[in-house]
Amino acid sequence: MNINYLAATMVLALTGAFLPVINRLFRISGIQGALISSIGYVVSLFLVLISDRGRNVLKGFYTTDPVSILIGALILVASWMVMLVIYWITEKDKFVNELISALMISTAGALLLISANNFVSLVIAMELMTMPTYLMVLFAFDDKSFEAGVKYFFNGALAVGLMLFGISLLYGMTGSFDFSALVKNLFADPLVALAAVFIFAGFGFKITAFPFHFWGPDVYDGTCPGVASLLTGVSKSAAFIGLMRVVYEAIPVIAGHFTLILAIIAALTMTVGNLLALAQKRVSRILAYSSVAHAGYTLVAFAALSVPLSVTGIVYHSVAYVFMKTAAFLCFAVLLFVWGARTMDDYKGLGKREPLLGALFLIFLLSLAGVPPMAGFISKVFVFTAAVDAGMTWLALIGLLNSAFSVAYYIWIAKQMYLEEPTIEKPVNDSPNKNWILLPLTVMAVLLIVFGIWLNPVVDASAVYAAKVGF
Amino acid sequence: MVLLSMILLPVVVAPFAWIGEKFNRDFPKYLSLAVGIFLAFCTAFLIAKYPGNGFAFHEFYRIYPPFDFNLHLAVDGISLVLLAIVAFLAITVTLSSWNIEKPGAYFFLILIFLGPMVGVFVSLNLLWFFIFWEFTLVPMFFHIGIWGAENRIYAAMKFFIYTHLASIFLLLGIIVLYLSTHTFEFEKLLNVQLDPSIAKLVWILMFIGFAVKMPVVPFHTWLPDAHVQAPSPISVFLAGLLLKMGAYGLLRWEIFLFPQTSKFFAPLMAFIAVLTIFYAGFRALAEDHIKRMVAYSSINHMGFVLLGLSALTAAGISAAVYEMVGHALVISLLFMIAGYIHHKTHTWYISELGGIMKKIPGLMTMFVIGVLAAVGLPGTAGFVGELTVMLAAFDYYGWVMVIVPLASALGAGFFMWMLQRAVFGPLREGFENLKSLKELSMVENIPLAMYIGAFIIVGVVPSLVFNLYNPVVNTFAQLFQ
Repeated sequence: MNINYLAATMVLALTGAFLPVINRLFRISGIQGALISSIGYVVSLFLVLISDRGRNVLKGFYTTDPVSILIGALILVASWMVMLVIYWITEKDKFVNELISALMISTAGALLLISANNFVSLVIAMELMTMPTYLMVLFAFDDKSFEAGVKYFFNGALAVGLMLFGISLLYGMTGSFDFSALVKNLFADPLVALAAVFIFAGFGFKITAFPFHFWGPDVYDGTCPGVASLLTGVSKSAAFIGLMRVVYEAIPVIAGHFTLILAIIAALTMTVGNLLALAQKRVSRILAYSSVAHAGYTLVAFAALSVPLSVTGIVYHSVAYVFMKTAAFLCFAVLLFVWGARTMDDYKGLGKREPLLGALFLIFLLSLAGVPPMAGFISKVFVFTAAVDAGMTWLALIGLLNSAFSVAYYIWIAKQMYLEEPTIEKPVNDSPNKNWILLPLTVMAVLLIVFGIWLNPVVDASAVYAAKVGF
Repeated sequence: MVLLSMILLPVVVAPFAWIGEKFNRDFPKYLSLAVGIFLAFCTAFLIAKYPGNGFAFHEFYRIYPPFDFNLHLAVDGISLVLLAIVAFLAITVTLSSWNIEKPGAYFFLILIFLGPMVGVFVSLNLLWFFIFWEFTLVPMFFHIGIWGAENRIYAAMKFFIYTHLASIFLLLGIIVLYLSTHTFEFEKLLNVQLDPSIAKLVWILMFIGFAVKMPVVPFHTWLPDAHVQAPSPISVFLAGLLLKMGAYGLLRWEIFLFPQTSKFFAPLMAFIAVLTIFYAGFRALAEDHIKRMVAYSSINHMGFVLLGLSALTAAGISAAVYEMVGHALVISLLFMIAGYIHHKTHTWYISELGGIMKKIPGLMTMFVIGVLAAVGLPGTAGFVGELTVMLAAFDYYGWVMVIVPLASALGAGFFMWMLQRAVFGPLREGFENLKSLKELSMVENIPLAMYIGAFIIVGVVPSLVFNLYNPVVNTFAQLFQ
């Protein structure tokens, strides 16, 4: 691991850790808190961006390559924007600084997770990412969030337990946790396959793949939407990259035997996610099930792991996903805060009340639906090109049909916002500095369009990674 | 830079239409008109400088060369004809929408739509073609959904989902094609020898995408809803540009790229074309809703376009492109006037109309001229288009095509019967004192006069259009030998 990257994680986690302390000492306001955290994010982002130079430390545990730099930077940006929106919508809450503290520590864990190349560091990073979110889910302190918190905790514990069992099997066979040692010593064996199943299951919980997706919508719906945007966007993207490292660096020898199973799980995840999303009335649940469907699209790229394009597909979809999903939930959060809009009926005519915010929400929804020129389109092109290249045209067809049908509910939200007459008369919280909140969302929309047309950074990074893992 | 500016300028100035509305309600429409005139000047410049054959005005913007994902723009004679339609319709639609409600958002969407529309016709990179193609749906969705008639939301949703689903097949075709050839560039794809079975798969997948847009039977059901519910100026965009995208895509990316595969599928295309011509003709005959009837006649004309394309000869393709021009001018006029009839009489139904010629002779004269052009009166674009398509089809398929002139008679039948019931005859009760039943204002008349003038000029001097692209078509036609 590069020393600058390590410093970036440290800076972020320490800023987060000291934020509540600073609040106890000086009683900071929301804007001051946002400024202090922003300094942490900016320093951390700078350090991540320069982490291609400098000394390497902790060699056997973490690695720094173009993929971790790219995704790390994007995760930081997304998490930064989440932080700003959370401060804006919960400024008056007593514990907001504690919430932001947990958010920053969790993001530091995500930064470690995407660069872990050892099962010990992988589990530690994943726990560092997950533990603070157990607290964050409970933040709203109402019945629904307690239910969500308990569900999330037990599912998270089960996931990590399954994963640890799989890892212990691998350790028992090879005596090593290191990816580079495992890839040399493992061979296609039923016990290895069993271990791989457990590890896949653990990640399956994290990325809400079918049949481990049940907790997802309940938790994303039950908790406050700012937290949900971190869980769906940042945590899941980091988990995609973590799984990618496991599949390509540690157990490629057995992963090749799983392509058909992965393909079937991918097809089921997409279909289930989209069908259930179509049936929902609450916008947060629609977004939650759409995030299940997007886990399916990423799994399509995993199923195509025999071709180098699959790496591009996974990385590109994670890049697009971390922005569009986070931002979509943030838009929902802002609309919920200002207008109290939860269900599809509440969304009627909101686009007329909030033209700019509605337009931004529309950009994120269209990107999720895969309409060009947003990054969601080109990432789907890469994912399905990888599937066709790997000889799974049927899977690409299922995926594309899913993508076409998913348009129905994304465009349904657009329809409610712009084509119907408003039902909500007065805003619940009318904030005078409302236009400021558009700034972080605009940043994400612009980045989404830039990454939709300018392919170089993502494709080059994934090409380097593909070369590293032997394509 | 000309082609790129034609794509980017409308999109870049679009937000100003929205912002400008707050300061001056008239600003958006003048902005849109200015952009339309800009497009017209650019097209005129390109036509004047066009060397006569092959692709010209190449513009190449490197974006990601390893995947061949580069913005490569160029025009040939066929693209120039379609660009001229884009510019012409941009001006006429702006004039027709002079007094629209919520002008800021409306013209914002029109400008957002025009840029990608130009892009579709000038892009020589298949993936960029698809990006432009797909993006045109978004403004159209809002146009239909916000400014449409009573059932607009259903029509907008159906339009978006249906055509997006079709695009998915097009995208899958593009992916399969890319994986077999590793290029998106038109000129590179021309020289690639593709495995016949893969070529057939790609051809079918892409054909579904294009056929839905054209549309042809049995993929046409989105069109009557979308056309009927859309406001009339937007129906003009739908008929004049969106349907042309399908025909142009079929010509550029299938017939020119896979001449042998197209030859294999030519009878299928011809069958679908004849089916479309007859089905749409009979549906129009049975239709009481005047705008829906025009919509079916539009499908009927697109059947002629497909028939011309399916005759894989220089004559057939020339005729099809000419028919595209004629369709864009004639059907646009009919859609506009059908909308005005509803506006003035508050009814869509032919059975509730009658004798309105007596009250609004000026508008109805233009309607009659338009109808005559649509049924193929000599001296109008409709005549030249249908005649050349039929001749080409006879030439290629022989006497089987003797049934096609019958369809032409069918077209004359439903239009004349409609005129007799709705326009001529005794004035219907209640229409004498109808205040709204009066002639159009000046600014509304200008675009209608422009359509009539254009299709008469093009009809009397067809060589104006033919000369522009005939060398191109002849060059490509050698591929079919």
